Amino acid sequence: MTAGPYGGLLDAVRGVRWPAARRVAGATLGAHASKLRGNSSEFSEFRPYRQGDDPRRVDWRLLARSDRAYVRLTTDRATLRTAIIIDASASMAFPLADLAKWGRAREIAVGLAAVAHAESDPVGLAIASDPPFVLAPRARRSVLVEMIRALDGTTPRASAPLAPFVTSARAPRVVLVTDLLGDLEDMVAAAKLRIASGGEVIVVHVVSPDELDPPGGALLAVDPEHATTRRTLDGAARAEYQRAFFTWMDDTASMFRAARIRYFRAETPEPAAHVVRRIAGDAGDAGR
Amino acid sequence: MTFLSPWVLLIGAVAAAGSVLLHLVALQRPASYLLPTARFIPDRRTLVRRMATRPRDLLLLSLRVLLLLSAAAAFARPVLAPSRAPLARVVLFDRSGAVQSMEKSVTQLRPWLTDGVPTQLVLFDSVAVVARDAAAELEALSLATSRTAARDSLRASSVGSLSAALVAAGRLGPVLAADADSVQLVIVSPLASNEFDAATDSIRAHWRGGIVIARPTSDSVASVAGTVASTLERALSPDDPLAPALSLVRVASSPTSVRLRRSALDARDTAFARSGGTVVRWDSASGAPAGATALAMGDDVVVATLGRGRSPAEGATIARWGDGSAAASEVRIGAGCIRHVAVGVPLAGDLPLRGAFRRVAQGLMAPCSGNRASGPADDLAVARLRGPEGLASAERLADPAQRPHPLVPWLLGIALACALGELVVRGRVAPERA
Repeated sequence: MTAGPYGGLLDAVRGVRWPAARRVAGATLGAHASKLRGNSSEFSEFRPYRQGDDPRRVDWRLLARSDRAYVRLTTDRATLRTAIIIDASASMAFPLADLAKWGRAREIAVGLAAVAHAESDPVGLAIASDPPFVLAPRARRSVLVEMIRALDGTTPRASAPLAPFVTSARAPRVVLVTDLLGDLEDMVAAAKLRIASGGEVIVVHVVSPDELDPPGGALLAVDPEHATTRRTLDGAARAEYQRAFFTWMDDTASMFRAARIRYFRAETPEPAAHVVRRIAGDAGDAGR
Repeated sequence: MTFLSPWVLLIGAVAAAGSVLLHLVALQRPASYLLPTARFIPDRRTLVRRMATRPRDLLLLSLRVLLLLSAAAAFARPVLAPSRAPLARVVLFDRSGAVQSMEKSVTQLRPWLTDGVPTQLVLFDSVAVVARDAAAELEALSLATSRTAARDSLRASSVGSLSAALVAAGRLGPVLAADADSVQLVIVSPLASNEFDAATDSIRAHWRGGIVIARPTSDSVASVAGTVASTLERALSPDDPLAPALSLVRVASSPTSVRLRRSALDARDTAFARSGGTVVRWDSASGAPAGATALAMGDDVVVATLGRGRSPAEGATIARWGDGSAAASEVRIGAGCIRHVAVGVPLAGDLPLRGAFRRVAQGLMAPCSGNRASGPADDLAVARLRGPEGLASAERLADPAQRPHPLVPWLLGIALACALGELVVRGRVAPERA
């Protein structure tokens, strides 16, 4: 397998750890702290023996010294299934010249998948496109290649909702790489449900500089997903547009924080590896 | 081709430039740009005012510019302006009875017609006639050996009218001004005082320039002097019906004199005429009055109970009856003439007291070659007629209603077509911008 254009990215994120934000419930031995206490060698604490505990876990040395029965507890490590959902609607095909948003979104998805896969986590991919593409989380070695192939074979177009993918994702950790210009409210509602059930939802908001500051001069801005939305962007409207757009982004970030959705804004000039490190590092901080 | 109102062209050009400018800055649909966040742009208008480097809607712009330029060109009053001569001339030639010597008058006229300047010749006596061909008219005048042959016999004794001649000149002036920078007016006339009338000065004022007066040398108008008694050799018996009429007639003096004969002429009369005298044979037996009839001589007409004698068989008719037959004729002989009058004058009645008859009688008793009833015009009248020095410029004589260029209706037609086309094209462009 060759990583192709993603080679540099994969090299850049090699060694990055992406710990789970909370203890995971998985039983498969992995890299993330598990909710389960078991027989691993990683000592955690002593607990007084209770009826029903396995007598083999009693620390006999401590019993001999203190004449009290304590059970030796250890921390288990588990894997964390991760589903990456990428928005492939027409709004991601921007700017038309180089499709920078889509390109950066693909790199972020591949980078996160590579980081998760390096920790032996099963990684899955869902492309919200028409028709949709879903790759269930797998830990096999070829999963990254399959993801890259699927992403490279997709052209963003039309409009597909993200909420169904959030709802149906078979992974406790869900990453959404999107520009949030689709079904935002439905997606947030689905994310809240997932978080309430113990899951983790990460939103990577991909923004182009041309969206923050559109090209100068008068333009007839046409929404690629809703062709009927045609607005004139000239001098006076530009300031109002920027004010409205930034306000919307701030409100959206606040809404995500309130819903305990981890939110990252990724502007396309920012290297994907840097974005991946931000997300992984922030997760580490949250885990601590 | 030139334009009488070139400033309208300038206005049209400015308007066309303004139209182009408006097409550059007009409300235009801005360039389309796919922007995923277009929803955050306030929904206002879809057209913006901006300056473009190239005008849009070139067809519409072309129609509008063509419309403006065509209309401007049409309203700029294009006129045909053929090659203009520096000078044109109107010559008023007097052929009335005031002219004593037609040969001298023609001599005066000739230089004005042969110097190469485009000239319109107007022959005038009591009426003015524009000669169709001045050269041909001059030739005809030159070939005339006698005054009566050169002129219409009835006009020979008429009184010239300078007013009529000036009116004709006033009409010819603008026509000549269309093709010349200046127009010169020349009057070849002895300028008798009776050729001026009350309207002459006011009509003269319409000619915006000086007038050249060419008075035939030594053709001055004979002064009114003397009386019938002094110059008219009469052999009238007291009961002759002509006696009271001629007693009131004033006959101009001249180098020659007038001899009235009521009977057949003899050798002495012929010799008298040949030596330059005027012999008027006015038969006493000119017929009994047969009823009211008309007698016309020049501009004078007498309607009275007159006797009609036998019409003269020879000579130039100088008076006619109402039916056109000759009532008097004149035959040149030597330096003078013999005049035959076949008009019977009633013995009773007030006919001799009528002004018209007296003028007719005066004309019949006038010396050869016309009516010499009037003297030369005074210097003041001639000076007023001459007016200021200088030629009349074409601009001052220009007829406001000049010949429009035949292109004008086409220009207006193009403008109208462009206006209609503009409506159609605008109707197509508007939905596209919506």
